[in-house]
Amino acid sequence: MTSISIRIAGAHGDGVESSGALIIKVAARIGLHVVAYRGYGSIIRGGHCWYQVRIGDSQLRSYGEGIDILIAINQDAIENQKSHLNDKAVVIYDPSKVKVDSLDAGKYKLVPIPLLDIAVAASGDPIMRNTVALGAALKFIGIDIAVFNDVLKGQFGRKGDNVVAQNIKAATGGYNYMGVQTLYTLKGDGKHRYALDGNTALSVGAYAAGCKFYSAYPMTPASSILHWFASHEDKGVMPKQVEDEIAAINMAIGASSAGVRAMCGTSGGGFSLMVEGLGLAGMLETPLVVVESQRSGPSTGVPTKTEQGDILFVMHASQGEFPRIVVAPRSIDESFKLTADAFNLADKYQLPVIVMMDLYLSEHVETVEGFDVDGVSIDRGKIVTENADGGRFKRYLITDDGVSPRAFPGSKGLEFVAGSDEHNELGDLVTDMYAGLDWAIDVRSKMHSKRMRKIETMLKNEKIFVPEVLNDGADYFLVTFGSTTGPALDAIDILKSKGKNFGLISFNYLMPLDKEKTKNMLQGKKLINVEGNYTGQLAQMIRMNTGIEITKSILKYDGEAFTAEGIANEAIALTNK
Amino acid sequence: MTDVNRSPEPAAAAKPKQVLTSGVKQIWCPGCGDFGVQAGINKALSDLGISKENVVIVSGIGCSSAMPHPFSTFGVHSLHGRLLPVAAGLKLANDDLTVIGTGGDGDGYGIGVGHLIHNARRNVNITYIIMNNEIYGLTTGQASPTSLFGAKTKSTPFGSIENPENPVGIALAAGATYVARAFSGDPMHMAEMIKGGIQHRGFSMIDVFSPCVTFNNVNTYDWFRQRVYKLESVGHDPTNISSAMEKSIETEKTNWEKVPIGLFYRIERPDYAQLDMTLRKGSLLKQPMPTKQQVNEILDEYK
Repeated sequence: MTSISIRIAGAHGDGVESSGALIIKVAARIGLHVVAYRGYGSIIRGGHCWYQVRIGDSQLRSYGEGIDILIAINQDAIENQKSHLNDKAVVIYDPSKVKVDSLDAGKYKLVPIPLLDIAVAASGDPIMRNTVALGAALKFIGIDIAVFNDVLKGQFGRKGDNVVAQNIKAATGGYNYMGVQTLYTLKGDGKHRYALDGNTALSVGAYAAGCKFYSAYPMTPASSILHWFASHEDKGVMPKQVEDEIAAINMAIGASSAGVRAMCGTSGGGFSLMVEGLGLAGMLETPLVVVESQRSGPSTGVPTKTEQGDILFVMHASQGEFPRIVVAPRSIDESFKLTADAFNLADKYQLPVIVMMDLYLSEHVETVEGFDVDGVSIDRGKIVTENADGGRFKRYLITDDGVSPRAFPGSKGLEFVAGSDEHNELGDLVTDMYAGLDWAIDVRSKMHSKRMRKIETMLKNEKIFVPEVLNDGADYFLVTFGSTTGPALDAIDILKSKGKNFGLISFNYLMPLDKEKTKNMLQGKKLINVEGNYTGQLAQMIRMNTGIEITKSILKYDGEAFTAEGIANEAIALTNK
Repeated sequence: MTDVNRSPEPAAAAKPKQVLTSGVKQIWCPGCGDFGVQAGINKALSDLGISKENVVIVSGIGCSSAMPHPFSTFGVHSLHGRLLPVAAGLKLANDDLTVIGTGGDGDGYGIGVGHLIHNARRNVNITYIIMNNEIYGLTTGQASPTSLFGAKTKSTPFGSIENPENPVGIALAAGATYVARAFSGDPMHMAEMIKGGIQHRGFSMIDVFSPCVTFNNVNTYDWFRQRVYKLESVGHDPTNISSAMEKSIETEKTNWEKVPIGLFYRIERPDYAQLDMTLRKGSLLKQPMPTKQQVNEILDEYK
């Protein structure tokens, strides 16, 4: 397997992100594999940002530790990125703007190109300097300029032939510049792959499941879900930007109560505001999908950096007890599939399902072979449209499986009031004037256990609430959830190449958990939990459910995403002790 | 602080043709102003001939938020201060429903006041009735956002040193397209205000003076009777926002000697559903699930 990491670095407003997106498109088009991730801050112009695109000739699951080709747009790019350069890295820069004195010329291949001059000659517009640099970078990795030209046509076609021609001229100028040569050969398999980030896959998954309503307040890294719904409003979905996250969740509950599949989304800070609403969905037994994309906390934390520090919070958020499902997609592919599944689970068990993302999963782009669109089915659960028995409708009928028949407003004869107070089968409150009466105590107890019984029903009906074990006979196992799984898989390959036999136990459902099965899967194995937080929240969750204590941990809470190399190095250090 | 000026239940005055009752007993104290509001809502719905299965009464938390239970319509008894987002979600999802929000002054003008402002400005077609008794009743008598300056309550035993909110002024400033005020002691007039709100396409707010006979011995039925007058009787032009604003501050200017009730303001303006790209095609609930082909077409955007 060959892989090359190209990093373009500059200031916010320099077009770093759109340049990265162009490289991804080129690679995905000719059947190469990509993992791309960007680093940025809460600033619109200025500051420092980068976009790293790792391109490989077989599947990649992490964004790569070092830089093979650096496109340095400004001086900061050299100073901030030089510690990440691999040996023999190519550094592309404009000598009129950037000095490379601080780099060891013997260690790296320094490639000065008059990016601005070529851009101005091609178009009169210095902004095309990035395109010149991209042309050069593509030559270094042996990609035909014709592919780039096609992508530029697709990208700028709407702006007219002249803009396309200028871009192509700029790209060709970089591609053919003297000293620019092909150093690496990346051969694609010709299959044009999808390239998208986790939030996009999640949004399409929700759309495929028939989600019609998405309410949110802008918050990184969940905002792009709102943007997705807003830009697809013509496809029959309704985005609703609201005044705060309290409104977001309560409006979604209202929409769901009316019978529409509804979702809301936010990050940890917004989820804190949603907590009371989450309990309302639990009490009203209203199906609801909530996205929580984690970022570094607590409080405002590091708004543009990743973390996995919210899982215990989300699993226990709200006063009182009610069943909920917490799902943590492990990949872009699962962001689509498990979000689509979340709507069925929410409807079948009439409860909130929380989809745990994190900034890395929400925002990093991967190439994906395909999505199981045909596998998306829609199961609305126990919906009734007619009153079979006469009399008042028992919305909260006490059943063996804990799930009661559900009706939507507009259904004649099925009128009921859904109450956040404890209620009887009809929805009438047993609190206020009846609190403490013997029969009311009895109703409370029966109704609470009816709701909680849904956990047993789910565990019995669904086979999903266990982790996945890979390489069962391994000497050691990395234990992961969510987005950390990808880098851990790549780490296992690295470890194998160094003679270490590692397996993987990864969770995509965190709650509920089949305790017995999970315990049997974990017992007797040497485990190392790998998670993006300080306290080892996954390990705590495992211990709480199985009694198994994991004593070796790889933890990261600096805001950066896990890399395969980083995990492998720590795993070696831990197992050599 | 009890049993002052207890009036006979005003509910009797607004007898509807059709009684929308589930048979559930209401929790309110005898003589509570909220009985009049319940009767007013019933009368308005009955007069307008709206089928009960198409009505959703959404409430928050507080005495007045017990409103939905005695009705044989659909209802959601939600969280404290959050009835408006729940109600807006219902209406945006199914435009065929008549959605009525019912709550108190603590619920709507205190903890949930942000939602009042934003749902007013987005002009969602719901009718929001606030039973304003200038006190927190269910928590046994603390100051509310509309308690008068100097009001002695359990939480302000030496008199409130905060000024009362002007909910009519807030609704007008926020862009509500139907703003009215009523008094529980005049249930026929109140039923007309509610009816007008339901008929109005857009966000309607009706602030109702609904005396608490247990915890507020100042703002009683008699206190209001001595002060209220009808805007209709003084030739107020409800299409004029400046006059409406002027009338909304009359209570403050006259130190609550003159308290206008009636229709402050009404303007015809497209409601949210008439402007929204998706809802213009019909009710969200009735729009079809996407086909596999549509999903694949969207995925192709990412190739």
